[in-house]
Formats: sequence, structure tokens, C-alpha cells
Amino acid sequence: MKEQENNANNSRRSFLKKGIALGAFSATALAIASFQKDDVDETGEKVKLLSPEGEIVEIDKAYVKPAQDLHLPLDSKKIREGIPNRKFVMVIDLARCKNALNCVSACNKHHHITGKNAWLKVYKMQESKDTAPYWMPSTCQHCDQPACVTVCPVDATFKRRDGLVLVDNERCIGCRFCMAACPYSARVFNWEEPDQGEITMNMDMNMTQHASTPEHAGLPSVKGTVDKCDFCPHAIEKGELPHCVSACPNGVFYFGDKYEDTVTNGDETLRLGKLLEDKAGYRLMEGLNTQPSVFYLPPKERSDDFKDGLDKYKKFQSVEKPEQS
Amino acid sequence: MKNQLNFRYIFLALLSVFVLTAGFQNVYAQKAKKNKVRLKAQYIKIMDGESFIDIKATSKIKKQNITVSGIDVIVFNELEDDRIKLGTVTTNMKGEGRFVFKNFNSIQADSSNTYTIYLSFKGNETFKKAKKSISFMNADIIAKMVIKDSVNYISARLSDPVTDTPLEGESLTIQVQRLFGPLILGDEFNDIDDDGTIFVPVEEGIPGVDGILTFEVVLNDSDDYGTVKALIEAPIGTAIIDESTFDKRTMWSPRNKTPLFLLIFPNLLIIGIWGLIVYLIINLFKISKTKN
Amino acid sequence: MKIQEKLLNDLAPRKFDKLGVIWTSALILLIIAGVIAYIDQIIKGQVVTNMRDYALWGIYISNFVFFVATSFVGSVIVAILRLTHNEWRTPLVRVAEIITLASIVMAGITITLDMARPDRLLNLFIYARIQSPITWDVIIIPTTIAISFLLLYFPLLPDLAILKDHFKDKKPRLSRWYGRFSLNWRGTTVQKAIQTKSIKIIAIMIVPIGLMLQTIDAWLFSTTYRIGWDSTNMGAYFIAGAVVAGVAALIVVLFVVRKTKKLENYITELHFDKLGKLLALACLIYLYFNMNEYLIPSYTPSTGEEIHLKTLFTGSYSFLFWLVTIGGLILPVLFLLFKKGRKPLPMFFIGLVVVICSWWKRYIIITPTLLHPFLPIQGVPESWHHYFPSLHEWLITIATLAMALLIITILVRYLPVVPIQRTADEQEKLNNEKH
Repeated sequence: MKEQENNANNSRRSFLKKGIALGAFSATALAIASFQKDDVDETGEKVKLLSPEGEIVEIDKAYVKPAQDLHLPLDSKKIREGIPNRKFVMVIDLARCKNALNCVSACNKHHHITGKNAWLKVYKMQESKDTAPYWMPSTCQHCDQPACVTVCPVDATFKRRDGLVLVDNERCIGCRFCMAACPYSARVFNWEEPDQGEITMNMDMNMTQHASTPEHAGLPSVKGTVDKCDFCPHAIEKGELPHCVSACPNGVFYFGDKYEDTVTNGDETLRLGKLLEDKAGYRLMEGLNTQPSVFYLPPKERSDDFKDGLDKYKKFQSVEKPEQS
Repeated sequence: MKNQLNFRYIFLALLSVFVLTAGFQNVYAQKAKKNKVRLKAQYIKIMDGESFIDIKATSKIKKQNITVSGIDVIVFNELEDDRIKLGTVTTNMKGEGRFVFKNFNSIQADSSNTYTIYLSFKGNETFKKAKKSISFMNADIIAKMVIKDSVNYISARLSDPVTDTPLEGESLTIQVQRLFGPLILGDEFNDIDDDGTIFVPVEEGIPGVDGILTFEVVLNDSDDYGTVKALIEAPIGTAIIDESTFDKRTMWSPRNKTPLFLLIFPNLLIIGIWGLIVYLIINLFKISKTKN
Repeated sequence: MKIQEKLLNDLAPRKFDKLGVIWTSALILLIIAGVIAYIDQIIKGQVVTNMRDYALWGIYISNFVFFVATSFVGSVIVAILRLTHNEWRTPLVRVAEIITLASIVMAGITITLDMARPDRLLNLFIYARIQSPITWDVIIIPTTIAISFLLLYFPLLPDLAILKDHFKDKKPRLSRWYGRFSLNWRGTTVQKAIQTKSIKIIAIMIVPIGLMLQTIDAWLFSTTYRIGWDSTNMGAYFIAGAVVAGVAALIVVLFVVRKTKKLENYITELHFDKLGKLLALACLIYLYFNMNEYLIPSYTPSTGEEIHLKTLFTGSYSFLFWLVTIGGLILPVLFLLFKKGRKPLPMFFIGLVVVICSWWKRYIIITPTLLHPFLPIQGVPESWHHYFPSLHEWLITIATLAMALLIITILVRYLPVVPIQRTADEQEKLNNEKH
């Protein structure tokens, strides 16, 4: 009997032993398996990229796929001609602007602006000491008689049929005459290699590289060339509003097609003509005859106090440094 | 000896627990960090066109709302206790996805003529699983353009397609399609009368490409019927005129459209002056080549 | 015709003395420093300058404008004085031609230094838009280089032939070079006829070309909207300024050349006296344009004009403004009104002051305007509200000035600074008239 018991005990022991060993083994295997990623051979070489969220991330070079030409080639007539039957305009309602600076952040993020001068800036304006101060966001005005285009010696900046004035960073020779000619201080210059990461890419799901195109300015920014607000053709081609327009929490920016006589700020969609008539719209420096495409609605019956915007006002900074992750 | 055995057991047991927990640690750790996903769904039906569910996945991470891209959402047709799988949608970079119903016969309504669609996301390493259910009944909008006393009107009727009875208590919106979103014409809400119809004048002078406008009569996001849209294409708009100077010769045009004055006068000057310079250089050669 | 031995000995090029070697070496060192700074600029980008988005043009451009202005001296001395039958110009023309060529070549080089993408230089030719003032510059500068070269070369041919003979025994290799460049000049009737006709054509051409060059340079600024640049005065203003800068540069170089080559008998006090009067006249005309440019806007200034003028008259640029106006124009005129002021040594100093002030004058034209744009300067670092050139900019600019001086030095070393054949011809004519 004792022997049977012993045998039973022994077999139980050995079963338990085996069971525990098996359990431990499978647990370890599971643990190891769960640490595995997809089956890509990592090269060990890391590259710095700027993610769509505006953060600098480091990933292994193996995950980066080579360039795919998803945009039209640069000298394609279509890029220089633009979208037919459209004329894009923007309306900026100064009565609503509180210097929230969401527009500036969104623009800086989506164009990967890493210099010291933002393309869209909110100015603290006061024409005279007797008139009231107000906040004025200012972009490139995409003038219909653009001085910048007139003076460019190499056709690097051009005016399209749909009203946009864009920059071909592969053609620009960096003479900065366009910057001298622009009365709206709309243009910035890449005085050094832009700090956008080793390979700047418009990272999409598959992390494929997009070729540089005038339709998505800043991707990448090119050393020794000019950059400016492009009215986001990469977005408007998809029927989406430019980033500043969608980012504004106060509905300051309206955008639309002048031929359709309609502009929208994402919430309200209005007839352009009626909006300008009702709210006395005007254009900046109309007397210079540049014929800008940006209309301003005067800061009348403002929703907020001008002083409330002073907290966020930074006289000497318009671009936040991208976060390192 | 028994003590030794005991020790061995205890040791092995402790070891296995340690390894097991180490092995599952990352799983536990991930479970602790997983974020909640919120699924939003909207049912949209376009008359004489597609019907679909627009899905949007968002999540609150670090107090910020972000879109969840690249997740698979399975679409079911829920009927009593059954769930019939209809398909899968993967959200794009903006966290949005659209599931199109191939035809209305592919989904079944319950006894109260209500269709229920159930969306499910199984979860992944970063996100917890999520689900969303929406119900709607089928509704029709029959819309057309009429002219009365040389004024354009839109006449539309909202009805139940099966019984052809008007649906009460709803209001329709008339809008015209524009590039970045529709422009509402007239009042935002036009209440339907007892007949289930509305009769709304269309303002004049709406510009459109070649004068063609696409109007939409919309039942917007109703609780019972979702969103129903009827489209009317009518050439009653004012034709747009291209004001751009792109085809003209201007000072800001590309070089193939240089103003004629600049094309002719400077080039004549250049040819004249360089012609003379070439002549002078030839003279140098002549001097060098003169014989005694 | 045999050239008098004395004439030949006086005017033929001689080897450099110690001073000349030191001078040339110093220039070469400055140029090397500039080249190193430029390579650094290419590698790092123009961030090494102190130009930023508001002060987007700096001393590279003002230096360029200075070179363009100085290159006008050829048109003035050689052509305008010729067309107005001022025969005393003969000993001066060669130096004037040399300065013109050196200046315009350096202008072409200097402007490419300002380009942030010099690797795309060819775009200026392949994709040129003739609507752009820069394209007009791209056309007129090579044209001026070509015509300035011909202006120097055609009258040089007889002298090269003379020098070939002169050095045949003592320096045969040098003699052969002179021979090659003299293009087989033997003074035959045919050759003389071609040469005379050609020089006449060049002398007539260089005046409108020179005027166009100055005007196009001015239009780089007046075709913009900016306060201080958008002036209808600009073309004529720049032409007058070019006469001042050119004549002053000529006086300085003449003095040095005269002294080091002991040419007091050829470049006499009379020449300095005449040049002094010419410079005084040029300064007066330029002062007239300055009044139109600065005094009249201050009568009814717009907001922008008032800010701009305040900056120049009493503000941050006032020291420079009054320096270049009083020191660079008014005082020189006052000194030049007196005969004593038109003697060679005082003229040298006056000329030097005028040249230096001419250089700073162009700085005053460019920088203050850029720092007063229409919209307020906001959202950029505090340093972007000011501009003073960086070390790189100074090194590169000084290198271009050194290179201009080097070109002049080399040409003056190997070419007869006073035209030998012409002087001989004129002396013969005088002798014939005496008898």
C-alpha cells in the first residue's frame, strides 16, 4: 500500500513537475513572442522624421519606404495652371480674432515650419494712437497683381488660374527679390538647412515619401529658397479647408471660391458678396493695387476684449520649437 | 527528504510564477495603458444613389481628442438576436471610414421596419474594444424643380417608401452644393406640411460652373431616419466668368506670355547692341589678319 | 613712327618694387580669407550673414551697387569727355578703362555671391523672365563687360605692339605675350582705319550702355513698393551718384599710379585740377538729386516716409547719413572750389573720402528701407529688427574690393597706364604745329 502511495505520489510529483516546467516554458515563449514586431529586418540605423503631428520621431530606416511619385511632376502644366473654374479667396473676421494663435500652430505644424518666422502671423495692429488696437492674422494675400511674381527672374514663383501664388523650391535661386517686392511681409527665407529631420516626409500610413511639390509648401523646405503660405492646395484639392481655417476656434477665417460666391469657416457657409456687404469687408493696402485675395472684416462689435489676447502675444516669437519625442 | 522535495516544489512553483508573470507582464502592462475609443456613426442615404454609414473613431489621450486611424471596424446588421456580418471598414488617416450598402436588400429590418446596424472594434495593443449601434427607418425624399410665375421653386416630399404615407414632425433643408460644403438657401428648417411636402422658392443669381447647380434637399440627422438627401441638378445658376489673367500677357505671367512690348523692344536693343559687339570682335580679327 | 626713347622709358611697364609686392600679397591674402568665408557660406547657408527675413539684402547688394556705380567712369572719362572734345583726358583714359573693366567684372561676381543658390545660376539664363529687373541686370552686365573690354583693348593694340619691340631683348617671353595680344598690329593704314572706326563706335555705344546699366541698377529698387525705394528719381539719382563714385575712384588710382610710376610729367597738376572741377560738378549735381530724394518728401511726408526720414535725419542711421552727405559730398565740394584743394595730394584724400562715403551711401540706401516694412516687424527674434554685417559678410566684401584692386594692380603693372602711341601722336602733332 505504501508502495502504491509512493508510486502515486511519485507520478503526481513528476506530473506536477512537468506541468510547471511546461507552463514556465510556454509562458517564457509567449513573453518572447509578444515582444516581436512585424517581420521587417531592422537595419539598426535610425532616421529622424517629422510626424504629421509635428513631432520629431526616430524610427528604424527599414520602415521607411522609398519615394513614390504621388503628386504631379513639378514642371507639369497642371501644377502651374491650377484647378480650373475656381478662384480661391479668404475672409478674415477681425471682430472675432482673440489672438488664440491656433491658426499659427496648425499652419506651423502642417507645413513643418521649423524656422524662426511663421508664414501666418497674428499682428498686434494699431494704426494711430487714437484708434483702437486689434489682432490681425495675416497670410500671403495671393494677389491678383502680385509684385513678387512680376519681379521673379526665373519663374520660380507663379500665379495660377485659381488665384494661388505658389513657389517652386526646385527653381528658386534665392535672390530674395520677391521678398523685397512683397509689401505684406508674407515671405520667409530658409537661410540655412531647415531643421525638419533627416528625411522630411509626409508620413502616411505606409510611411511613403512624397516628392517636393509647390502644392504642399514646406515639405520639405529647401535651403536657400523662399517659403510662404500656399492656401494649402494639398487640402483644398481634396475639398478640405486650409489648416488655419479649420483650426480657428473662433470662426475667424472663412475660405471659399469667389466664383461660387460662397465662403465657409467650417461652421457657417455664407454668400461672399453678402458677407462683404453686410460687414463692410475691405482689403489690406488696397491703394497699392496688388488686388489681394484676402478680405478683412473690420473689428466692429468685437466678441472679446483686445486685452485678453495680450497674454499669448509674443513679440519676438512666432514658431514653437517642435517637441522631441 | 520530504523537506527537500517540498523545497524543490516551492522553488519550481515560485520560479514558474515569476516566469509566467514576467511573460504576461507586457500584456498586463499594455492592458493598463489601453485607451478608450469612441465610435461615431451616421447613416446617410442619397436618393437614387448610395446609402452608407460614415464612421469616425476618436479617442481622448492626454486630455486631447485625437482621431484613431487604421483600425478595423466590423459592420453587422442586427436583427432580433442575430448579428449578420456585412463587412469591414478600416479608418483612414483622419479616423474616418465609410461603409457603403451594396443595396438595401442586403440589410433586413425588424418588425417595426427599423434597421439596426451594429459596429464593433475588437481592440488592439493601444486601444480597447468598442462598439456602437445605430438604428434608422427607411425614408424617401422625392424632390423636383418647378417654375411658377417665372420663379423657381423646389418641391419636395418626405414619405415612407413602403406605405407612401408622409412622415410627420420633420423638417427639410434646401442647400446648394459648393466646394467646401453646402450653402443653405432660405431657412435652415422648412417644416413639412400635412402632405409631407415643402415648397420653397430658390433665390436667383447663384453662380455655378456653366450655370449648372446641384441642389440638395436634406433631412438632416433625424433621430428616426438618419440623413436622407435628394439631389436636383438644374441649369438655373448664373454662369461663372473666368476673371483670371492667366491667359493674358501681363507683367506677372510666365515667360511664354510676356507683354509684347517687353518681348520686342528689349530684344531689338539686345540684338542691336550685341550685333555691334560681334562686329567689333570681327574687327579685332580683321586687324590681326591684315597683310602688309 | 619711332617712339622717342624717353617716352618709352617713362611709360613702359616696370617690375614691381618691394611695396608693390607687399601690396599684391596683402590683396591676395584678403582674397583668400574671403574665399574661405564664402565656402563656409556655401556649406552652412547664408545664415552666416546677418541678413534675415526683414534685412533681406545687406552689404553684398550695396557693395554690388557700388561696383556698378564705379564702372561708370569709363563712360564719363573716355566717352563723354571725348564727345565733348576735352583733349586733356588722354593720359587718364587707360586708367579709367581699367577701373571700369575691374569694377564691372567684380559687380558680376559680387551679385552671384548674394545668391543663396549659386548652383542654380544657369536658371537665370534658361528660365529667364524678361519682366524681371534682375533679368535686365543679367543682360546689361555681360554687355557692359564686353564693351568695357573692347574699350580697353582696341586703343591698347598699338601699345602692345610697341611693348613687344621694347622688351624683345630684355624680356623675350614677356615680349612674345605682348606680341600675341597685339594681334599683329603694325600700324598699317588698314589697321588704323579699322581701329579708329571701332573706337568711335565703342565710344558712342558705351554712353547709352553705361546709362542703361546705372538705370537698371536703380530700377532694382524703384520697381518695389518700399518707402525710400519707390522713387521716380531713382534712375537719374543713380547716374549722378555713379559719376561721383567713378571720378573719385579715378582720382585715387591716378594719384597712386602717378606716384609709384613717376608719371608726374604726364599726369600733371592740370589733370588733377580738371578732374577736381569735374568731381565738384558731379557732387553738386548729386547733391541736387539728394535734395529731391530726401528734402522734398519731408515737406509733406506720409507716415512711412516720416518714419524713414526720421531714421536717416535723427535716428539710428543719422550718423552714417550725415557722414556720407556732409563728409562725402558737401565738404569735398567746398574743398574743391579752391585751387589749392585741387592739387594732387589734397585731391587724393578728397577722392578717398568720396569713394568711402560712396560705398556707405549705398548701404544707407538699402538697409533702412528694409527695416521699415509696411506691416510691423513682429513674431521674429529681436536681432532681426537690426542689421549690421557679420564677419563673413565683411570678409567676403573686403575680398571683392581686394580683387577689384588686384585686377587694377595687375593691369596697371603690365599695361602702359598712359597710352604710349596716343601720347606720341599728340606730341608729334604739337611739334608739327609749332613749326
